[in-house]
Amino acid sequence: MSAVARHGAVALGAFVVSVALAVSLAPRASDTVAAVVVAVVAAAAGFVGSLPAVRVGHPALARAMLTVVLVDAMVFATTFLSVPTDFNLATGAAMAIALLGLSFLTGASGQISIGNGAFMGVGAFATAIWANHHATTPIVVVLLISVAVGALFGLLLGLPATRLRGPYLAGMTLAFAVAFPAILSSFSSWTGGDSGLQLPNTVTPPHWLVGLFHAGTPTLTTDTLWLTDIIMVATGVAFFFMANLFASRTGRAMRLVRDNDVAAELVGVNLPRTRVIAFVISAAYAALGGALWTLLNNSVSPATYGFALSITILAVIVIGGIGTISGALIGGVVYAYSTSVIAWFVARTGLNPQGNLASQLNGIIFGALLIVTMMFSPLGIAGTIRHLRRRRALARERG
Amino acid sequence: MDSFLTSRIVTDILNGLTNGAIYGLVALSLVLVWRATRVLNFAQGAMPMFATYLGMGLLSYHWPYWVCVGVCLVAAFAIGGVTERVLVRPLYGKPEINPIVVMVGYLIILEAFAAAIWSTTPRSLPAPFSPIDWRLAGQPVGLSPFSLFEVVTALVVMGAIVTLFRFTRLGLQLRASALAPEVSRLLGVRVGRMLTLGWMLSTAVGAVTAILVASNFFTGLTPQLMDGIFAFGFIAAAVGGLDSPVGAVTSGIALGVILQFVGDYLNSNAIILVALVILIVSLMVRPSGLLTRSAARRV
Repeated sequence: MSAVARHGAVALGAFVVSVALAVSLAPRASDTVAAVVVAVVAAAAGFVGSLPAVRVGHPALARAMLTVVLVDAMVFATTFLSVPTDFNLATGAAMAIALLGLSFLTGASGQISIGNGAFMGVGAFATAIWANHHATTPIVVVLLISVAVGALFGLLLGLPATRLRGPYLAGMTLAFAVAFPAILSSFSSWTGGDSGLQLPNTVTPPHWLVGLFHAGTPTLTTDTLWLTDIIMVATGVAFFFMANLFASRTGRAMRLVRDNDVAAELVGVNLPRTRVIAFVISAAYAALGGALWTLLNNSVSPATYGFALSITILAVIVIGGIGTISGALIGGVVYAYSTSVIAWFVARTGLNPQGNLASQLNGIIFGALLIVTMMFSPLGIAGTIRHLRRRRALARERG
Repeated sequence: MDSFLTSRIVTDILNGLTNGAIYGLVALSLVLVWRATRVLNFAQGAMPMFATYLGMGLLSYHWPYWVCVGVCLVAAFAIGGVTERVLVRPLYGKPEINPIVVMVGYLIILEAFAAAIWSTTPRSLPAPFSPIDWRLAGQPVGLSPFSLFEVVTALVVMGAIVTLFRFTRLGLQLRASALAPEVSRLLGVRVGRMLTLGWMLSTAVGAVTAILVASNFFTGLTPQLMDGIFAFGFIAAAVGGLDSPVGAVTSGIALGVILQFVGDYLNSNAIILVALVILIVSLMVRPSGLLTRSAARRV
């Protein structure tokens, strides 16, 4: 069987399975129609993306098609999941965007930030403040503004990064994370002080879409679903851009800076500029994640964006695989489900859920995983998977 | 004359010196570890915090105060040594972000364990001397027996460290191991032991700091006790230069005084903001610290 035929068969199979799932699961005819549309898009994108000619000749197009398939599958899945599950998935997906920024910073330039929770906060508050002053601005514009504000903060803090090496930059970002709550309090007329801000109105889907896809479902469901889908699309776009950046000339230059900055300078890479760009991109991604959290929660509270969030972000991305793209996705899933997994564990072991130990279990487990990962598998879960696959491929070659 | 001694400026300077002594001590402990092993220890606040819980917890069993302080120091020595041997040693020669991440993980785990064992409720520590300001003609002067004790302790600890490094055989071995480990090893210095000793000393300096902070800052002893102080201590160390013990303490004290004025004349939220600006500006002007000679980077 030729490669084209094989990929065609895979795409067709995926299409048939999705349609069958849609028909059996969807409670209403309109949902079935939607599901079929989703399945057709996924199958077509998967087919185009997996064509050998496209994969070799147009890697960016192949990545775009892969993104379409994944986003499409997630949007499809969220339609059938419960509201709390959707909310959880969306929280994890927005976190994955922030993680991607940090992963890029380390993977591309060898620097590390312990302040990305504060950059998430910058995006979150930028969204809330803008929405409170200009309630009619379209979401996409609000998100772009928040990203720009995050990038600006990244530039301010990143400027010293032109001359700094790892530990100093880490310490400086830590100081930023510790200072962030005080920054919010200093501008309490804008940020609402300790109580934070509410958004003036919820983000609702356009009418034509409600009529087409989710006729008659309760508002809360549609709004959460709509936001979830927006976040899934945003996550897809963010990952697509990052995958291209990693593979581009700039991305290669950045990896050279990470591995050997002296050599990079010798071949003409502008070190200071590269370091600052990596830092700004990482801050912008964090800001996008925070902005999406604000939309999802319809409010923002300064307590969310304390020092604890910054170290949680670091823990989650290291466990997922710092410096890798898939590690950010894995980290997002870990973040979304860690709380419920730990709650399940506490219930199983019969610990007092209100006790000191149970409430600190999160920190103990994350801290331990962080140390174990760095000691034994510095590329996290993603790196371990990559390593296993490579070993299997080697074994196959040897026969 | 007494109007001058109780004036706002003098009071601010005295209060600032007290805070600055604390920042200087944290900076000093960071410098000790950095010089020995080229690791910026993000658990530098959490390790002494843990030792302080272990030692000062004995107060509830009616152990004498100074014996408890001694237990804290012994616990700090032990924690520092074990940490270097178990967590840090495997990371030498790895990319520089690896030890950073491991120490952040260690910070998380220590704070979580402390909260799991002793809860997050602040535990008040008795101050060994009165924390109430001396008065001149009915006005507080901004200096209490306890804050004087803090400043004196900081100076004594710094003096002891400098004496150790400059004037003793052990200090020479410590410096040699940090600067030229290979040569030192050839000359018979037990380099591994010296690195461990660097971590032990640093954690002990940290424990002194943690006890002072927990008895002074009206916060009591909590698992997160040192988070904020660590940030100021790092800023002091980075401004002074991570390689220079004297620079670290000097810039810590200067930072304490400057920030006291900022807090008094602007507002308390501005303190950390100004500290951050000082850090960014000084790093841009002189990345290796204001108070060090610049050195070529090893490639």
